[in-house]
Amino acid sequence: MQQKTLVLGVIGSDVHAVGNRILDYAFTQAGFKVINIGVLATQEEFIHAAIETNADVLMVSSLYGHGEMDCRGLREKCQEKGIGNILMYVGGNLVVGKQDFESVKERFLAMGFNRVYPPGTMPEIPIKDLREDLGIADE
Amino acid sequence: MELTVRQMDAEEFQRQRQEVLGQWETGKGVNFEEAVAYHKSLPKSKIFAEKLAEGKAKGVTFAQPRAGVALLNEHIELLRFLQDEGGADFLPSTIDSYTRQNRYTEAQSGIDESRTLGRSMLNGFPAVNHGVAACRQVVESVQVPVQVRHGTPDARLLAEVTIAGGFTDYEGGGISYNIPYSKDVSIESTIKYWQYVDRLIGLYEEQGVKINREPFGPLTGTLVPPAISHAVAVIEGILAVAQGVRSLTLGYGQCGNLIQDVAALHTLPVITEEYLKKLGYPETMITTVFHQWMGGFPQDEAKAFGVISWGAATAALGKATKVIVKTPHEALGIPTKEANAAGIRATKQVLSMLKDQTLPMTPELALEEQMILKETRAILDRVLTLGEGDIAVGTVRAFQAGVIDVPFAPSRYNAGKILPARDTTGAVRVLDFGNLPFDNEIKDFHRERIAQRGQDEGRDPSFQMVIDDIYAIGKGMLVGRPR
Repeated sequence: MQQKTLVLGVIGSDVHAVGNRILDYAFTQAGFKVINIGVLATQEEFIHAAIETNADVLMVSSLYGHGEMDCRGLREKCQEKGIGNILMYVGGNLVVGKQDFESVKERFLAMGFNRVYPPGTMPEIPIKDLREDLGIADE
Repeated sequence: MELTVRQMDAEEFQRQRQEVLGQWETGKGVNFEEAVAYHKSLPKSKIFAEKLAEGKAKGVTFAQPRAGVALLNEHIELLRFLQDEGGADFLPSTIDSYTRQNRYTEAQSGIDESRTLGRSMLNGFPAVNHGVAACRQVVESVQVPVQVRHGTPDARLLAEVTIAGGFTDYEGGGISYNIPYSKDVSIESTIKYWQYVDRLIGLYEEQGVKINREPFGPLTGTLVPPAISHAVAVIEGILAVAQGVRSLTLGYGQCGNLIQDVAALHTLPVITEEYLKKLGYPETMITTVFHQWMGGFPQDEAKAFGVISWGAATAALGKATKVIVKTPHEALGIPTKEANAAGIRATKQVLSMLKDQTLPMTPELALEEQMILKETRAILDRVLTLGEGDIAVGTVRAFQAGVIDVPFAPSRYNAGKILPARDTTGAVRVLDFGNLPFDNEIKDFHRERIAQRGQDEGRDPSFQMVIDDIYAIGKGMLVGRPR
């Protein structure tokens, strides 16, 4: 089967780099082609990288609490650029303060994300979801 | 302006000042002479350098939280709570991430939205947008000294506004607020930005106003070998003193092994004084700050208190002047004020219980200290050689060459070639040396210790071992043993 491509990055003014390195490593090990745009990534950089590489999924991280403001409008921008159906995953410490994760998840699903992950999610979980959403058989 | 360690000339400073104060409208509210007078009106109890000197003389360790929210009244309420309910000895104003990237328009949207929604949409206090008078309200509303804590590569306007606003301590530096906090900003430009900040503080100092400076010790906060963070701290200390700073708090982030951490705390002021003296700089007050565990935290609050208390114990036994406190909400992001105060109380309990105890010198502690000094000198001497005696020039070249190399940093100006890993006792060692200028004696020391761990775990040291180490604390361990 053709290798699937992920655009991986940390959105907004966020500089958390350690998890980004680990996800890059883990997704690559799991057989995906990872286009890592790193920290301080704008919505435009995600979309540009996805179009350039014909990517299958946007993997958005946010660890610093501004995720709600930074992620808003990403789905609409994808639609404008002709990649409106691309899968979008988001995870991390998405909001300021300790809030009920179910309500956070609802907010991000409403923004057009396909999967939303709470803090402390291990890479194996999105890897399993990616295989399911992209129709890849488990090894 | 050519890069050099030497003091900025007055003309260049004034030229930049015009530009900096024009970057946002609140810059107009800064008046140096008036600010000097304001600082002179502050009681001694609100001046960071005074209280640090007192603590250093008595051998006590102070506790300080991190905290900041979008709106002024809520920010003041938060700081008062941490002072009254948490017992904080020092207070912060942690700056939001938009301000850190000089995005004042976005910070303003965050302020406006926070007002509308009734909850903070920003992860810190946007001090530039709030301006000088609001900063003074913060300083006047609390009884202890207040510091600016952030992560801003170009923090010139923030420094102008907050110092005119009565803050008496300023965190950061040209390396420590670049390499872990940005992607595309050159070290040469951040050294220059921070020389401006240090010169500004030098000018206050010359008027008899003491502003303490604190280079950010932990860097990426993830498996940073002590010699690397020490080398950066010494360089930032020298760069600051060269611009007229006379009060420095040098930082170090907890690695987790008690002996290594205490050795790091003991050696940090020693090596800094050694190089300041060697290079002919004037006498400077040096204190230390220990950062409780900066890596990933357990989600369970009781377990998080365990991590916090171990940091407090290490700070007390290593005789740090101050400890920066984590909270039981660390794994989930920004804490509530109650959780933040609880972190301070837990810390202070341990600090006061251990204040009369020290870690006795043992052969292991002596060896650890000797190795940290040897490694730090190896890096610093190479930096000075590369810069032909100029440590600012040498630093830029050292990063290019990977002579200074910070693990897991986002900056493309960092080589990113070294790989750290824990040894079997949890001390942080170097698995791949990249271009660190270490001799064979140092390299063998690291190799032997990592090999021992490999043997204990029945596997070859690799990147997987490093990943296991990064996740370990969240799983209740220090060393990431295979499952």
